[in-house]
Amino acid sequence: MADLFSNLALGFGVAFTPINLMLCLIGALVGTLVGVLPGIGTIATVAMLLPITFGLPPVGALIMLAGIYYGAQYGGSTTSILVNIPGEAGSVVTALDGFQMAKQGRAGPALAIAAIGSFFAGCVATVLIAVLGAPLTKLALAFGPAEYFSLMVLGLIFAVVLAKGSVLKAIAMIVFGLLLSMVGSDIETGASRMAFNIPELADGLGFATVAMGLFGFAEIIRNLDAGSESDRELVQQKVTGLMPTAKDLKDSAPAILRGTVLGSILGILPGGGAVIASFAAYTLEKKISRHPERFGRGAIEGVAAPESANNAAAQTSFIPLLTLGIPPNAVMALMVGAMTIHGIVPGPQVMQKQPELVWGMIASMWVGNLMLLIINLPLVGIWVRLLRVPYRLMFPCIVIFCAIGIYSVNNAPVDVILAGVFGLVGYWLIKHDFEPAPLLLGMVLGPLMEENLRRALLISRGDWSVFLTRPLSAVLMAIAAFLLVLALLPSLRKKRDEVFVESEN
Amino acid sequence: MADTLGQSSDRSASTTRNVSAALGVLVLALAPQLVELLWSFATIFGVSGRSTLQVLSAHGAALLLAVPNYLAGANGKGLGSDTLLALIYSYPLFAVAILSLLIKPKGPQDYFGGVALVALALFALWASSDLQGMRGFSFGAGTAPRMFGILLLALGAGVALMGLLAEGPQLATYHWRGPLFVTLSILSFSAAIRPLGLVVSAFAAFMIAGMGTPETRWKETIIVGICLTIGCSLLFPYALGLPLQLFPRFLVQ
Repeated sequence: MADLFSNLALGFGVAFTPINLMLCLIGALVGTLVGVLPGIGTIATVAMLLPITFGLPPVGALIMLAGIYYGAQYGGSTTSILVNIPGEAGSVVTALDGFQMAKQGRAGPALAIAAIGSFFAGCVATVLIAVLGAPLTKLALAFGPAEYFSLMVLGLIFAVVLAKGSVLKAIAMIVFGLLLSMVGSDIETGASRMAFNIPELADGLGFATVAMGLFGFAEIIRNLDAGSESDRELVQQKVTGLMPTAKDLKDSAPAILRGTVLGSILGILPGGGAVIASFAAYTLEKKISRHPERFGRGAIEGVAAPESANNAAAQTSFIPLLTLGIPPNAVMALMVGAMTIHGIVPGPQVMQKQPELVWGMIASMWVGNLMLLIINLPLVGIWVRLLRVPYRLMFPCIVIFCAIGIYSVNNAPVDVILAGVFGLVGYWLIKHDFEPAPLLLGMVLGPLMEENLRRALLISRGDWSVFLTRPLSAVLMAIAAFLLVLALLPSLRKKRDEVFVESEN
Repeated sequence: MADTLGQSSDRSASTTRNVSAALGVLVLALAPQLVELLWSFATIFGVSGRSTLQVLSAHGAALLLAVPNYLAGANGKGLGSDTLLALIYSYPLFAVAILSLLIKPKGPQDYFGGVALVALALFALWASSDLQGMRGFSFGAGTAPRMFGILLLALGAGVALMGLLAEGPQLATYHWRGPLFVTLSILSFSAAIRPLGLVVSAFAAFMIAGMGTPETRWKETIIVGICLTIGCSLLFPYALGLPLQLFPRFLVQ
């Protein structure tokens, strides 16, 4: 316990330096700014803003990125509430009741409750990370290559089970990602793989490049299809009366609490996280409410619960990343990309070797949440004005920002072209109803999986049963198999689809 | 959609759809060869690569003679890369093209999505065919790519099969305007950033991207474009300290 406090003290010492506070503030602001833009989700925001952190020292860069992440999430919910265009799956649920509230002229309380709920969830999750981080790191030391491989399989299966739509297609996307990660030099032999003698490919496909293409460019192209102007119905009334009434607070307090608990648990699980947490929290609220018919008509619990769950899950999903070095979702995968660029290999050793980095980041998460609460409520007016900028002017700006961003990663024009290619690939994927997020996760986990698979089989002298004979690995594999079977069972599939369908109407 | 059409017109529409679908898969089956053919035109301008005639003859021979070559050279050892491409990539997709001609898939969206994944997997298998495989029980460079390739092949085939047999959504309509101009904008940016610097390339790319929607009003777009260019030239090189060149190289020197 004393350990915990000294660690947190160390963390807050790092986070409260003026420079890091500044970076956290800028990150949260810029993240919100980009996240507010309709049609740009959290992943796209983080991918787009990744390059601006490259010039910073590692601790500062990660703190800023964490700020961007929360800002983007908060920005996404602002858009969902005000314009009814959720930037990503996670805030789809918020749009249901949030937009209804906004239509009734209660956009202010909706936004405020979202911020308060997120802040509360963030506080709880920060403590949870601090408490669970150290013991889980010890657990990680018991992990051999076989266990790592099994855990990653489990994580990927989780991602599949929780993804929307066909299980088969989601698995196919993961394998597509794994295959893409094979491009470049082989780690052990140095042989060039599938690079076609193109020098820019010798180092592999840049992660930021692919992410920006699949989520940035593809999203823009798709939005252009839709006839962007027609389906945007911005709440025209002025957002007044920010403060929720006492009744609002009383109604939403238990919802926030339940959302936080649910989100914290779901966030730790690899592969799941924010999306399913908000769906689950919304469904739970609707189930236990005495007046379920109010949901979808502007019930404040319908905003409070998913927003808290979303934020709690976003934060606890740092746990598998920091302790095991395994990114549980696409945003965390981007974080891994950022860490590797700064020469940090995430995993248990980081916690021991660079405690100021890990604890500084954990502390700054809390600071970031606080800042969001403080800066965003007064700034709602600005975000509303930003939302009035027509898409025909906004999208070329986003294209240029993305292009400059990708170019500045390596100063390589080829990277920009590759991102463009992946933009078209992403557009194609959307048209064929494939989800790009599992692809990104597969791409990050690919090299890790290959390395651990190789090692495990080398140690076991080529015996594939090692994954089932080592107890920890066997348990992980069994859970993965169980989940996969569950996901394929028709009865459960129907339920799962219902959850998603319900949220779309 | 099909329900609203009359029965007879539906049938004739489906036959034309079948032919165009088969043709589409056929083009996909020859895509690597066609890309190299297009690339070979650039060799005239001194880009490294095989010349057009070489490409045509090599791939033509490979496509025609792949099977006899395979039978002659035992177990595919010592076959040229073009022959392997024909064997591993093109021939299986020819079969798929014929299948697409004969059977009308019930869920075209999934069917063609799956077929494209199959093509991708086959291509990856070909691209990693020159890499070393297992040595004893240790992995070679090619083991993992091949493993994932075969896995994707199976999954892609599964998705295609689902699309073939199970009722599913039609193909979504593609629009050409957005993708075309956004892609052109990206290409022009990457071509211009090195020689012409940030100011010129950002503004040009902005204007090209602006053509991506019919809603664009030019006066407004030009003003915003200028503002954005100024903003970017202040933000990236100065505020963020990224090493970007602002003005054309020939002006700076």
